[in-house]
Amino acid sequence: MTRRVRRSGLMMPVNTERFVNSSWLRHSDSLDYDLEDSVPQSEKDNARAVLPNAIQIGQKGGAEVSVRINVAYPEADLEAAVRPGVSRISHPKTEHAEQIRRVDAIITRLERERGIRPGTIEVNAMIETTLGVANSYEIASSSPRVRTFSPGTGYDMSMDMGLEMFVGFDQFFYNRGEGELIAMALGQNRAGGVYMSDTSGSVTDGDRTLEQAIANRKAGFRSGGGLHPNVVQPQNIGLTPTPEEVDRARRVLALFDQIDARGEVETDLDGEAVDAYEAARARELIEWAAACARRDAEKAAKRAASLAAEEAAGG
Amino acid sequence: MRNRVQRSWLIAPANDAARLAAAADSGADVVVLDLQDTVHETKKHEARAGVKDAISEMRAHGSEVYVRCDPELLYADFAASVWRGLHGVVLPGLTTADQVREADRLLGEFEASRGVVRPPPLDEILEADDPRGPDQALEIHLCLDTGRANWDAEDLISASDRVRSVSLGRADLTMDLREEPSGDLHLLPYLNQRLIIVANACGVRPVGAWWRATSRGLAASPADTLRAAVDGRRAGFRGALCMRADQPRALNEGFTPTDDEIAQAKAAASDPDASADQRAIALDTLAWAEACEARDNLKAAS
Repeated sequence: MTRRVRRSGLMMPVNTERFVNSSWLRHSDSLDYDLEDSVPQSEKDNARAVLPNAIQIGQKGGAEVSVRINVAYPEADLEAAVRPGVSRISHPKTEHAEQIRRVDAIITRLERERGIRPGTIEVNAMIETTLGVANSYEIASSSPRVRTFSPGTGYDMSMDMGLEMFVGFDQFFYNRGEGELIAMALGQNRAGGVYMSDTSGSVTDGDRTLEQAIANRKAGFRSGGGLHPNVVQPQNIGLTPTPEEVDRARRVLALFDQIDARGEVETDLDGEAVDAYEAARARELIEWAAACARRDAEKAAKRAASLAAEEAAGG
Repeated sequence: MRNRVQRSWLIAPANDAARLAAAADSGADVVVLDLQDTVHETKKHEARAGVKDAISEMRAHGSEVYVRCDPELLYADFAASVWRGLHGVVLPGLTTADQVREADRLLGEFEASRGVVRPPPLDEILEADDPRGPDQALEIHLCLDTGRANWDAEDLISASDRVRSVSLGRADLTMDLREEPSGDLHLLPYLNQRLIIVANACGVRPVGAWWRATSRGLAASPADTLRAAVDGRRAGFRGALCMRADQPRALNEGFTPTDDEIAQAKAAASDPDASADQRAIALDTLAWAEACEARDNLKAAS
């Protein structure tokens, strides 16, 4: 299976035309069109109506497209969202496994009706309430469409817990541990990140985003998301290994192969341990760097082709 | 039971004579002869062949002896390890209760066929035809070093009466937990607390230290090891695994109450104004300090 590269994910209300029209030019690995919290109730119908066109626009820059639906009416939203070109449905405020099983059943029917290969569409079961945390294991294991699981650490979670966010303290210590442990126990990708003090709450600060993305990558995380175009490139850059790191990983692997051939299990490189575990990390880093490079090339080619097509059409 | 003194568990490759010699002199309460990830695939046979003699050797130097076995090679590893003087096995990588039951059964077979019993910490070993009690069953120490094993910790621990202690093993390596900007190893504070709670709930001893990113795969400098042990004791551990021969003395020190703590505990124990809880905690500290001292005296005599 080729590895999904989702370093950046830009979320926007799908009914805001100017966001959607420029979304494919943002270099985001994933574009997340929202039908939920960022869309006012009076606009929900319109949002569903414009979604198919947004899905087309989103793909022009080679991004993966995902859609966030409303918990209250999954049928109506999925009817609009499950179509070719969509790779993932985000189910917010998940509290019971039954909700995901129901979404899975609807997606399964729509995939069949619309000629989408079965199982194509992933479900992102978002945990955003304490009840969701308590039922996390059942939720995460409720459907094979749940392939990545992230702990509940966002705005909605802090609201549910009655907490002030951005106070320079890790309020989600338990949620994080529990969510990641469950992902590991089930062999799923773990999304999320490391705690870094943030007292600004800014969603547009590129420098801070870069710092956080680098720390996340060093701790083994590979994905990110965001609400503003400013944070897209910092995440792409921060979550991609540097050439120096790739070079060092190659040296670690070569050194490990040498000692392994001699029947030894451990040595060191510049004072740092080299063993089977470090070799595995090095191998993963090299593969990840290659996957990032492929993804970047793919996006660049798609974008260039779309720009050329527009120019031809316009001229 | 609670006061069983196993402050330092030093893992040493069973095929490395120099490291075994260093382990014998390390002051470790427990030496764990390793047949798992510190032994190269091509040297497993050689390592197994050395276990029987190494057990007597380590015991003569005052350490209890366990063997860390490869979860995929349990039969061969147990066959090499179940000999007079062995206290138990350290099992990493098990993820289901069935695997624990299978290990229990297999240990029982070797115990029975070879007449081996778990010895007292350092005194004379009972002969096989002496009456045997449950305290003479070889022990299992589980290293819960995968997501699955941690999630199902209670089931795994409860699967066998032989399981008397648990740790996270080298979880930072097996679960790929790396350094955070805070200097912690990602998720380790959560996993440590979870382990302590589940172990106590199941009536087994949690083994570990408050390792931070200055340690890697249980290896750390003596100073960082001491700090991890001191913090670990505050969090609820009374002993930890380690990889290098210069770590056991730091672990022994960190897990033993200091003279100041002993003086404070003595004062609290006899203070008529102290609450029942305060007195109970003080008495517990004093009993632990006494047990540590007794263990050190036994070791010095051997």
